[in-house]
Order: sequence, then structure tokens, then C-alpha cells
Amino acid sequence: MKITVRLQINGAEARFEVDSTERLVDTLREKAGLTGTKVGCGIGECGACSVLLDGKVVSACLVLTAQVDGAKVATVEGLGKAGELSDLQGAFVREGAIQCGYCTPGMLMAAEAILARYRRPTTEQIRKGISGNLCRCTGYAKIVSAIRKTAGRRAIQRSGR
Amino acid sequence: MKALKTVGRRPRRLDAEAKVLGELVYPSDRCLEGMLWVEVVRSAHPHARIESVDTSAAAAVAGVVCVLTAKDVPGENAFGIQIQDMPVLCHDRVRYMGDAVALVAAESRAAAREAVARVRVDYEVLEPIIDPEQAMQPDAPALHPGGNILHRGHFQKGDVEVGFKKSAVIIERAYQVPMMDHAYLETEAGVSYYDDSGSLTVESCGQYVYRDQTQIARALGLPLEKVRVTAPYTGGAFGGKDEITVQIHLALVTYHTKRPAKMVLSRDESIVSHTKRHPARMWYKTGASKSGKLLAVWCRLVSDTGAYASLGGPVLNLMMEHCAGPYLVPNVSVDGFAVYTNNGFSGAFRGFGCTQACVAIESQMDLMARALRRDPLAFRRDNVLHKGDRAALDYEMKTKVGAEATIRAAGRGKLYRTRGKFKRDRSEHTRSMAPYIKRGVGVASQMQGLGLGVGLPDYAEVELNFSPDGAVTVRASTSELGQGAYTAYAQMAAECMGVPLEKVRVVGADTKTTPDSGTTTASRTTYAVGNAILMAAGKLRAELDKRAVGLEGISVRETFHLPVADVKLGDGLPHLLYSYGTHVALVEVNTLTGEIAVLAVEAYLDGGRVIFRTGFEGQSEGGVAQGIGYALFEEVLFDRGRFLNTNFDTYILPTSMDVPADIRTVPVEVKEDTGPYGAKGVSETCMVGVTPAILNALHDAIGVRFTRLPVRAEDVLRAVLERRR
Repeated sequence: MKITVRLQINGAEARFEVDSTERLVDTLREKAGLTGTKVGCGIGECGACSVLLDGKVVSACLVLTAQVDGAKVATVEGLGKAGELSDLQGAFVREGAIQCGYCTPGMLMAAEAILARYRRPTTEQIRKGISGNLCRCTGYAKIVSAIRKTAGRRAIQRSGR
Repeated sequence: MKALKTVGRRPRRLDAEAKVLGELVYPSDRCLEGMLWVEVVRSAHPHARIESVDTSAAAAVAGVVCVLTAKDVPGENAFGIQIQDMPVLCHDRVRYMGDAVALVAAESRAAAREAVARVRVDYEVLEPIIDPEQAMQPDAPALHPGGNILHRGHFQKGDVEVGFKKSAVIIERAYQVPMMDHAYLETEAGVSYYDDSGSLTVESCGQYVYRDQTQIARALGLPLEKVRVTAPYTGGAFGGKDEITVQIHLALVTYHTKRPAKMVLSRDESIVSHTKRHPARMWYKTGASKSGKLLAVWCRLVSDTGAYASLGGPVLNLMMEHCAGPYLVPNVSVDGFAVYTNNGFSGAFRGFGCTQACVAIESQMDLMARALRRDPLAFRRDNVLHKGDRAALDYEMKTKVGAEATIRAAGRGKLYRTRGKFKRDRSEHTRSMAPYIKRGVGVASQMQGLGLGVGLPDYAEVELNFSPDGAVTVRASTSELGQGAYTAYAQMAAECMGVPLEKVRVVGADTKTTPDSGTTTASRTTYAVGNAILMAAGKLRAELDKRAVGLEGISVRETFHLPVADVKLGDGLPHLLYSYGTHVALVEVNTLTGEIAVLAVEAYLDGGRVIFRTGFEGQSEGGVAQGIGYALFEEVLFDRGRFLNTNFDTYILPTSMDVPADIRTVPVEVKEDTGPYGAKGVSETCMVGVTPAILNALHDAIGVRFTRLPVRAEDVLRAVLERRR
């Protein structure tokens, strides 16, 4: 039996006919064509499929699309555009927080969740905040630094207003 | 020398923007009109004879287009980088749980998976061979026609008995290191189709498209030019995508159905099926004089290569080559064995044999320094190899040896110089907990052969194009696995062509559009491709002096052949060029819980001149994380040939909480005379020394020598309790 599900993905309304067992990550990748969200393990351990679901970071491989009718989903594709990277994306690029890049989209979404939660996160809060996102290439140091610097820049922007 | 404009700097990675936008298309992201999903029927037993395969029920599943078995392999049903002993699809026997018995191609992944469950294979189950020592016995059942010893080696320098007689200190230990999974975040994946020119094309995740092309063509009985392979980008590899993974299976489906096909391995399937780091047992006896001179190293190395050869022979060769570390030892005796078993299947992995040997020799070095009451860094420095010395396997070191420079730099570093202060610091702990906290600092040095070594074809051809608008295009067939090599290529091309980096484009890994630049392995690409770029740039500049740039621009090709040692001791043995490194680690042990925390690591790395500084640091930091994983977490576990942990819930990788925020990478730039701008490579040496540095730091912290990896909290606790008794 197909179920009709409405989602708001990166601000745009979308409608999908899904099986009750379809995972959100497959809806995003295969039906919405948003392949920025990756699959690394399929059991919620690696975080490559991290997206924001109504503002909360979740593993999209553990969410059934049919369960989240009406939800707002934010994926990496919503963060910035070519030539107009978001501040966080720009920091990842500048700090060299990217190697193979396969964890990067999920890592960016987890980072956005940290930045939404803390105004000036400590290094420990950042390390904890991305501990559900595995990276096999970078050793995390440059990722932590990119997130910390983005937090600093956002704090300055806020205080300047 | 003219100041360099681009080389040695910190440009943005060429692929960075596409990666942060989620726009880079990885093999697992490819989607083709009308494509079939391919799934593999893998063995149900670690060792069995196949009696029959019945595909009728599978073929009847709605949406299934074909079910292929061994009889559908039109060419040679065998592959393998060095020895083709691995079936594409098994017909009479299975030798590990990852063996492929049949392929299913269907209109949807769900249909393919359903059909996989309906392929009926009758097996005569055989006793699995799980112990390499037993497998070597003459009466053991043979897994392959040549018996169970894939490769053996014996090397001798001087006379170890004489060395031990003169030794004031002799240390004997046996070490055991586990099977390690590469755990790249993107599993093996790809698509296949016939391109417009009728070439069977496989877009995949490999590390050497030209060799993949050969292996596909051989299995399908096709001429090389009818097969095209591309693999520019993949989500990590570390050696684990060097051997064929999905490529032949994909090609086979497209060959039979004439339709595009796609494969993405699940994580469980990935862990079960691809090559791993060889588990090994290493028996060591080493001796030194009272004055602290190394006199003898004896060792016996047994590596479990699993079901098939892949690169098990060369990995053992490098284990033997690096058995005595970067040290001058007058008397050496090494025996090595690579043995077939039914324990999975091992092959290339960052470090390639050096990783295993380094754990053992660097532990021995520490134990000897302790027994002699010598400073562990000074003891290493006093025994270090220099150019002109004869290495462990008795050949001359003919290129610059940076080992001493890395040791001296480590000695000047903050962590080592003020280690007493770091070890005493309990400021992060409450007063009641402080007495249970122990800290230690450990060091380890290593060397790592660069390139494939003597006797194996090792060259890199590149094409450089200069277009009328002043843009430069580099074409090279190596892959961008994440290491940042394409950016380093662009930097070198910009530098030698005198153009800004923004004007350089890199086209990679396509047998149709890029020349053969060799493997993306062995820390070789920056060095090898870089040299070819420099050669081509010289030719291109000469052309530009002679004639005007036409509309298509000017293209030139050049091939660089890696220089090799003038003696041959085995396949890939020895090397002429090495990278060097010394690591310092600070660990903290909670003796109440057994928990281990790596608090800081300093890496002093001689990879020659650094080309791409951010990439260099990134490799180092990632190497630290993998070295921590090897030391403390990672082990593929078996029960009589059956895998026990096949996903990241039970195969544990270091997270951001396990890798220190404090990693300091210090390049020790000993410029290599034959290197492009003096560069060598760093992508292996950055990982190998980390693990023994942690083991040595643990010893420093709690006085216990761990000889089996990984060291888990329960091992620490047991050791601490035993010591209290």
C-alpha cells in the first residue's frame, strides 16, 4: 500500500507516494534526487545520512518517510549554492575539513545543529556534537576547528546587530 | 632557487566546493536511465564444496532480469592483482564468507535482494582452516593447488647468534595484531553501461583504472579497448579498493543484459567481502650492547592472508623489509610466511606490512631502552640509519634518510621536552579520582617504502594541455580518494607553467581520456605524477617557444619511471626511496575503569618537501585517528571463519571523542633529490608510527607491555589488577 507523504525539503513543498517501509534517506536520494545525503552503514552508526528533521539532527536511514508526514527536512543542498557557500561551508573549505568528502554533508548538518544549540560552543561541545558522525579521513581536528570558527563569526555578527 | 608561488602553500582543495555543496557525484550516487540493480549471492560457509546451484526460484521473482553463475563468465573466471586465484563467481568451491556464487540483476534493489535469498546453493561443508600455523603443516588440506603457503621469505645479514652473544640486553616477545577493516565511509559502488562508442564502461571506486580494465577484460574475454574504466572520486579507499570489488560483477551484468547496471555494497557485505589489513603474529628477539648499540634482530613473521592472494606476497615482503625499523643493525635474521586460511581475505592497507612490523620493532626498541635505562628517543637516535648504511636486508640506503631529523625534531617538541609536566598534570580530575589516573608519553619511529619497489612496473604518464586562454589541464589516471593529490598536481602544474592555480584543471582516472599514471597506492602519486608533470611542463614550454597555440591548444605527454634499487630481493623488494616519521603520544589511563584516552599526538614527518600543506596535515591527522583505531578499537572478529562484527555497531571506529583535539603535525622537509620540488609522499608514514607510540605511552603510564592489539579497557583493567596482586 502506498502512502502519500508531504514534506518541506529545504523550504520547498514536495509530495511522495511511498511504501510504509521506505526510509527517508531513500526518498531523498532516489525520489527527490538529493544525493548529497549519503548512506554509510544503514544502522544509524556513521551519521553520513544526517539531516535536520524539524530542526533536530537525525539519521535519515533510521527514519521511515511515512512517519514524518508534514515535517521540515533540511539537507546539505539547502545550505548554500555554487559561489555562495554558507559561512559553515566556507569554513570547511578554508580549514581543510574535507578529504574524501563522503562524511561532509552529514557532518555539516550535525554542525548546524550544534550551532543552533550553542551560541559559542566549546571544543568539547563540538566534539560531542559530531561524535555521531564518523570520519575516516580527517581525524576530526580540522572539522572541529571549522565549526568553532563559524560559531565565532556568527557571534560577532549577532553582537554587531 | 626562485621562491615558489604555489607549491608548499595552503590553497583550497579543487574539489572542496563540490563536496561541501553535496554536488560531487560519487559512484554510489550515479543513477542511469533503465539501470538494473545488482546483488551478490555470497557463500554461506567459510569453506565448502559447491554441489549445485539452483537459480530457478530466483529467476522467477518479479522484476528479475538475470541470475548469473560461474558458467556465465565468458573469459577467465579468475582475478587478482598479482596472482589470479580468486573466482569472479565460484563454481566448485568457496574459501571465505565473501566469495561470490551468483549475481542477480533486477529492476529494483528490493527484487534483487529477494531473489538473492531464493538462489539455492547446496554445499558440502568443509572444515575451515583458521590457524595459519596449522595451515602450514604438510598434512593440512590445501586451499589452493600450490598449498597453503602463498609466499615465504628468509633474509640474513651478518650472524644473529654472534650478535646475541655480544648483547648485554636481549628482549624476546611475541606480538599479535588484528585484521583491520579500511572502513571507508562509502562502500564499494559503481555503475556500468555501454558508452556511445560501444565500450563496456564501468564507473567505479577503484584505485587503478588501467589494472581494473585489464582484470575486467580478462574475465569477460574482451579486448582491452572494448572496456573503459573510470574512477576519479570515491569516498575513501586506503588500499581497500585497490583489488577488484564490484567492477567485474557490474561489467558481467551489462555484458549479458546490454543494460546499465548499478551496485552498492551494504556495509555488512563490504566488511565481509573486501580485502583487509593482514592479521599477523610476530616473534621477535632483539639484542643491544651495554653502550646502547643494536646488535641483533631476529624475527619470525606469519601473516594470515586469508582465502586469496591479492597482494599478500608483497605485503609480507614489506613486512620483512621494514622488520628492523629505521635502524642500523649489524645482524639480522628474518623469516616470513604469508599463509592462506579461511579467515576472510587480506590485501593492501595503508602501511602495507610496515604497519604490523612497526608495532613489533618499536615495542622492542622501547623495551631495550628501558632495560638499558636509556632515553627512548636517544636510544633510537643512536641507532638510526643514515644514507650509505646497509639496511636490515643488507642493501645500501642510497637516498637521503630523514629518520634522524624526525627523531631530533621530536626531541625538541613540547610534548617530549616537557613530558614530566604533562604526565603529572591531573587538573582535569577531581582530587578523589586523581590517584587512579596515570599518564604516559611514548615515541615511535618508522620508515616506509615509497612506490611499488624493485621489479614491479612503476611509472606515471601524464598529459598536459595548454589552451589558448592560458588554462592548463593535467590528465592523470590516478584517483582522488580524499588525499588531496589532484590539488597537489594542480599546484605543481601551476608552479612549473607559471600560471595561477585557478587556471589549472585536473582530469583524473579514465582509461579513455587520461594516460596510465599507475596505482593510487604506496604513497607514490605526488612523487610520481608530480615528476611526470614537471617533465611534461618542460616539453610544453619548449613547444610554446616554437609555435603558436592553436584553437585546441598544445598537448604533450611524458612518462616518469620511478627510480628503483639496484638489487632485487623479491617482488617490490627493496625500495630506493622511503618516507620517515617519528610520533610522540600522550595517553591517560584510568586504572579504576581501564579506560584509555589519547590526549595529544605530535607527528614529525619527512615526506620530503610539502606540496599541499593543508592536505599534508589532513593526511597526518587522519593517520593519527587510524593509528588510534588500530591500537585501541579495531578488530574484525571471527568464529571459525565466520565474521562476527560486520557493521559499525560492533566494528568500532574512533569518533571525535576518541581522537585528540591536540594533534600537531610538523613537516621535517628533507628534500628528496629525485622528487618534484623535493617531494616524496606521506600518506602511509603518517599512520604507521602512531600505534606503537600509543603502546609505548601505555607502558610508560602503567608499566605494562601490551603485545596484542587492540588494547581494550578490559585488557588494561586485567593487567592493572594482576600487577596489584
